[in-house]
Amino acid sequence: MYKIKNPYRPIRAEITGVISETPTIKTIRIVPEEPITFETGQFIELTIPGIGEAPFTPSSRPAMKGIMELTVMSVGKVTKKVHELKNGDIVGVRGPFGKGYPIDRFKGKEILVVGGGCGFAPLRSLMYELFDRSGEFKKLFFRGGCKTPQELLYRGEIADWAKRKDLDIKLSVDKGDSGWKGNVGVVTTILDGIDMDYESGIAIVCGPPVMMKFSTKKLLDIGFKEENVYLSMEKNMSCGIGKCGHCRLGIYYACKDGPVFSYDKVKDFSNIWE
Amino acid sequence: MQYIFSSNFTKLLENLKSDYEIYIPVKKGEQRFYKKYIDFTDDIVIGEVRAFEPLKSFFFRAREIVAENFKSDIPHTSQKPYCIVGMKACDLKGLKIHDYVFKNHDFQDPFYINRRKDNLIISADCTSAIDTCFCLALNVKPYPLENFDINLSEVGEDFIVEVGSPKGKRLVEKYSFLFEEIKDKFLSQRNEQREKVTKAVEKNIKENKIPQQDSFKGIIERGYESDIWADEADKCVECGACNTICPTCHCFLLYDQKDENRMARLRIWDSCMIKDFAQVAGGANPRPELWMRLRNRFEKKFDFFSKVANIYACTGCGRCISACPAKIDIRKILNRLVYDV
Repeated sequence: MYKIKNPYRPIRAEITGVISETPTIKTIRIVPEEPITFETGQFIELTIPGIGEAPFTPSSRPAMKGIMELTVMSVGKVTKKVHELKNGDIVGVRGPFGKGYPIDRFKGKEILVVGGGCGFAPLRSLMYELFDRSGEFKKLFFRGGCKTPQELLYRGEIADWAKRKDLDIKLSVDKGDSGWKGNVGVVTTILDGIDMDYESGIAIVCGPPVMMKFSTKKLLDIGFKEENVYLSMEKNMSCGIGKCGHCRLGIYYACKDGPVFSYDKVKDFSNIWE
Repeated sequence: MQYIFSSNFTKLLENLKSDYEIYIPVKKGEQRFYKKYIDFTDDIVIGEVRAFEPLKSFFFRAREIVAENFKSDIPHTSQKPYCIVGMKACDLKGLKIHDYVFKNHDFQDPFYINRRKDNLIISADCTSAIDTCFCLALNVKPYPLENFDINLSEVGEDFIVEVGSPKGKRLVEKYSFLFEEIKDKFLSQRNEQREKVTKAVEKNIKENKIPQQDSFKGIIERGYESDIWADEADKCVECGACNTICPTCHCFLLYDQKDENRMARLRIWDSCMIKDFAQVAGGANPRPELWMRLRNRFEKKFDFFSKVANIYACTGCGRCISACPAKIDIRKILNRLVYDV
């Protein structure tokens, strides 16, 4: 017999925490039976027994071993069940898969992280990795947007981030309320006038397709180089190893060659934002 | 090269039974189908043309359990390895594509590899062509030149035997008492036959104006925005038969059994022509229109595979032409892409 691990077999994992982030988004904390380590930006497949699996990029700090957090919006049959999970429930995890953010390439540079809505989830993991290695970079910037203040993820943690000296942070909502002190407008309206050198900087974008599209356009307009703009491509990843064919993007499979791509790699393929 | 009388070939198969599960083509009506070999019955056809069904199903099953109850072992059966008899050159090319996908490229698929590694491929020359055959356009000859263990060329009732692998060589040595030295007249008979079938396929290619693969470079990129796609997809009923019947199509769906007390994951063949193939849970779909999915099917075969593996993922077997209820014809689409764009 060939000694190859079965790539389709999930590892049993227990739910040890459920946090309601917004009316439609929850963060679940899972403890896999066998340790799974991941690099920020890589994704896993979460199995709900009897229902199926779906891909998620962990939102937790990669350095936090043994525990993984997934921030999940209820949109489909698997995510609907994720929202019904409670402590002690059993799920399955496969992965990690793909290539995450090439952090080593960011050394000595200014990094701008741009997030939109549920795109904050993978970026939370990224931010903690960047904070853990903060001394390696010149300066960190975070620009985030969502529809309303109620839909802002990780409010408490973000308040703590705002106190960090190594981070310049600004948030925006499409529609404010009486308590909102930040900017009002789509996220692209807070990408101007950042105190960084766009031409040598790194930009990382994650959010809903339309936000990714317009943010990328804006970043290129203000001077970022195509190869320095990193995108998390949301495709229908299933097997995770480039066999099942569902997530093909031009000559790549998002599951094994991505899901993080620099813009220059994918710009010529059709319908990349869909 | 050697020679084997049909009576001795039957003996060879009898001997192979102890080591292999043998499958062999039989004729039913105008078609050939694979069935398990038990006795050498009259309906067995070693030559002629490819079988109705694609032979990928022996190694990449249409439906199989790939994970159960979180257990780490790879489900396997105690079944003997397959010996596939009479495999034609087009299906050998199909295996080459699947070997690339499941065995040789990046990650390996243990299910495919376990089925494929101990098998025995006894291929055979085509001794006739049907009107959908166009292998030569893809530089595939109607007789095997590679990827077999031994190849049979039917000469009268008997066969010329060519060894194509160390495994094939060992087999011929082990059963040397069943083989004869080849006579020159049989070789010239084989060459005549090969020439006859080659001419028949060339005639198909000429009559249907099928372009040669040398002219395929860049056709997808050039024809990307062409209205050929909407035009050709017009009658498509989205049945996915073209994918299922194709010896190179490898896409699959991981599907979990609907029982919340037991985890069982199945892998079933999937079809990129179906609307939700690439759709994500949030609703975004990169190919919402049928014509986009038809274009994607051609892009995968004639652009993706040529760029990543330096091979076109089409064997010229013509199965998709016969299978399509809407009569969508790969020969015509290739012609339009090469000559009309």
